[in-house]
Amino acid sequence: MIFTKKTDSAVTASKRTARLSFLKEQSVKTIFFFTALFAVIVVSFILLFLLRDSYPIFAQVGLPNFLLGPDWAPTAMVPLYGIFPLIVGTLLVTIGAMVFAVPLSIGCAIYLSELASPRTKKILKPAVELLAGIPSVVYGFFGLIVLTNFIRVSFDIPTGETWLAASLLLGVMALPTIISVSEDAISSVPHEYKEGSLAIGATRWQTISRVLVPAALSGIAAAVILGIGRVVGETMAVLMVAGNAAIIPDPIWNILSPLRTLTATLGIEMGEVSVGSEHYSALFGIAVVLLVITLIINLSAVAILRHLNEARAKGPARKPLVSSATKESLSRFAEVIGIALFLIFLLAAAPWWLVALALLIIGAWYFGRDRLSQKHIQTIAFGLVGLATVIVLAILVIILQDIVINGLPAISWEFLTQPPKDLGRAGGIFPAIVGTLYLVMGAIAIALPLGVGAAVYLVEYTREGRITRIIRTGVDLLNGTPSIVFGLFGFAFIVLYLNVGVSLLAGQITLALMVLPTVIRTTEESLKNIPQSLREGSLALGATQWQTISRVVIPPAVPGILTGAILSIGRAAGETAPIMFTAVIFSSRFLPDSVFQPVMALPYHLFILATNVPGSSTNKYGTALVLLLLVIGFYSVAIFLRTHFQNKIRG
Amino acid sequence: MSDAAIITTNNVNLWYNEKQALQSVSIKIPKNRVTSLIGPSGCGKSTLLRCFNRLNDLIDHVKITGEITLDDENIHAPSTDVVTLRKKVGMVFQKPNPFPKTIYENVAYGPRVHGVRDKAELDKIVEQSLRHAAIWDEVKERLNDSALGLSGGQQQRLCIARTLAVEPEVILMDEPCSSLDPIATAKIENLIERLKEDYTVIIVTHNMQQAARVSDYTGFMYLGKLIECGKTGQIFEHPKEELTENYITGRFG
Repeated sequence: MIFTKKTDSAVTASKRTARLSFLKEQSVKTIFFFTALFAVIVVSFILLFLLRDSYPIFAQVGLPNFLLGPDWAPTAMVPLYGIFPLIVGTLLVTIGAMVFAVPLSIGCAIYLSELASPRTKKILKPAVELLAGIPSVVYGFFGLIVLTNFIRVSFDIPTGETWLAASLLLGVMALPTIISVSEDAISSVPHEYKEGSLAIGATRWQTISRVLVPAALSGIAAAVILGIGRVVGETMAVLMVAGNAAIIPDPIWNILSPLRTLTATLGIEMGEVSVGSEHYSALFGIAVVLLVITLIINLSAVAILRHLNEARAKGPARKPLVSSATKESLSRFAEVIGIALFLIFLLAAAPWWLVALALLIIGAWYFGRDRLSQKHIQTIAFGLVGLATVIVLAILVIILQDIVINGLPAISWEFLTQPPKDLGRAGGIFPAIVGTLYLVMGAIAIALPLGVGAAVYLVEYTREGRITRIIRTGVDLLNGTPSIVFGLFGFAFIVLYLNVGVSLLAGQITLALMVLPTVIRTTEESLKNIPQSLREGSLALGATQWQTISRVVIPPAVPGILTGAILSIGRAAGETAPIMFTAVIFSSRFLPDSVFQPVMALPYHLFILATNVPGSSTNKYGTALVLLLLVIGFYSVAIFLRTHFQNKIRG
Repeated sequence: MSDAAIITTNNVNLWYNEKQALQSVSIKIPKNRVTSLIGPSGCGKSTLLRCFNRLNDLIDHVKITGEITLDDENIHAPSTDVVTLRKKVGMVFQKPNPFPKTIYENVAYGPRVHGVRDKAELDKIVEQSLRHAAIWDEVKERLNDSALGLSGGQQQRLCIARTLAVEPEVILMDEPCSSLDPIATAKIENLIERLKEDYTVIIVTHNMQQAARVSDYTGFMYLGKLIECGKTGQIFEHPKEELTENYITGRFG
């Protein structure tokens, strides 16, 4: 190769192009910066609008009376706006759900990470993810038809819509979150710890219980907190099975009493309230309280996990989050509280034989554990861990088979292609299917460019600093915001303030905001997986940063980004709360002509059929099945893409 | 050094956070010669190399003082465009890092980002570069296969071809043979020998025999300082500094 001597004019020309390309680089970077800032802007707008619309009620009754007032009676002659029973209701449902879900999840997580063979794991992990993929309205539907009935018959009470039903159902919904995050935590305990323990002759169970689980404790704690966040923010399922009486159970441990949560109140009353009234403002007040609670919960989980990751990056000599003494007293305390709660539950509701059995087991454990050999203890422990896993699987199978078996007879060509008749008792669900597809496609069309842009900015354009911290916190906050709060925000800001009206567009935007954090996170992950050496290789050839990003970094990251997008579509397709007040109508014979018209949607259709339309059992199940298949279809594609992509990178 | 210098550094200091990685390094790199930088691990030779195309810019919390000039222009001057600089100063990395694209696209990437669109011209550049990097005969039948399917040695020569395609003036090589077998290493060394006709090559290596074989000039670095620099024969046979002699004779390192 021969160097050509550059003439003077060529040099000036190249200087001019350099200047131009510099300008282009700067403007590209600016665009990405603003997409990243968008998450922060949305969070501040949500806060702003919730506070704006809730201000009147705080001004009128005062914060203490609002939070601690004993009666919630917004439609009484003299309306009372005390949300104390709702806060207690949320708290009780959450405690109940955790009592049920935590032992099961940790057992299942231990099984998955330490006992399962790679082949079993390959089947079990997607099964757990499937549990996460079931839309909450389908859970609610199952709870309403099967679970409450079961509780009504078993305990011989007039209605099964109770605290117990809500806690069981929400516990199931929290399982996948807790299982997958704890499994992650246990699996990432350094291998040397395990080998060290086994090498001094500890049994596998001793190694698990005394080395692995304690080492993973912060991660497991974060998992539980995330699970709590999921339960507190859940709307549709709890609304359908909790009975919704705004009372504090009497006595307080009566798990067969109905109760009402903060979220359910919003779900029930938001649709019927007149805009701008005291009641309307009180509902926004509830949303503020709800938001504050979930944000505290989620941010603390995020803080724990981040602390863990940083500690891991710095190597094994890390400071424990809590000192061992605190840990010891904490676990002692948790043990006592756990047993006490369990006893209260039993005394309150369980048949006598269950109480006797439980007492027997606890007694046997306390007196017998020193006499048992380590081998026997291990057998018992593995048995329990296996049992937990079997229960989790059984729950999945029961839910799926109930919906598939009862739903299949409804599926026909007519059902899929005709509009509903007679309030959905007859006819089909075609407009609902199309409406849901319109909603999710629009949502992803909005969320994908914004989310990918934000992720590119965070990973490629900035160094960790104050700005990235602010943006990341914004994304975390958005991620922890309950879906019903998005619904309220969409209604207050998009439908009313921007005067878009209840419409397809309003629903698409609201759903887009909801899935934005997922898109950002998954894109960030896949960009971070691209080796730094490729970026250096490209830059060393004199490529600009944008050329490097667009031609070398993004192409191999596309499958990962796509996976995130499809997961988001699946999630958006199953959501009811965000579209309930922004986009949907129950019945329509026609498809919308423009994005400014409301649409039908599968989850909302199922919700109304299940709660407001008696009879029509086949069509209910048919709708549930179609929705389930749609969402699970999206999830399966995403999971398949991910595994395929991972194999490709490895091989 | 008697030959004309293309790169000159004057009192360069570099810190990663609080840790000083380079201490007042002053070196002249002669044009159209092969210069090797040797020294024990962590002595700063790769850091110095990455100063020449400002790749250290990518790392957080790096501070550089002192002056580095290329063709008498300060590479840190505000008027210097880092993209233009990197076009003039190519780099081959320790581990081969072909892009996950076809062999053809890997070589064509550089010319493309610098605005060459004409297909015939691209074809010409790709063939010339691959020939120059002594890999053309091995890949000419499968230019449209993925570059990831090549062996390590082939990938490294492809990366060299990719660098040549941009027609740089200087080629930086950061232990280019450390992940290769002896046969592939021999091929790359032969290649370096021929490259100096058209290019200035700076190679970082921990292999003293390699430095002795391929380079005209050698610099010895230790704990972030340039201890000694001169003609390769002189450095290896009559080092002036005791530290250099200890290292060359294998007393530490």
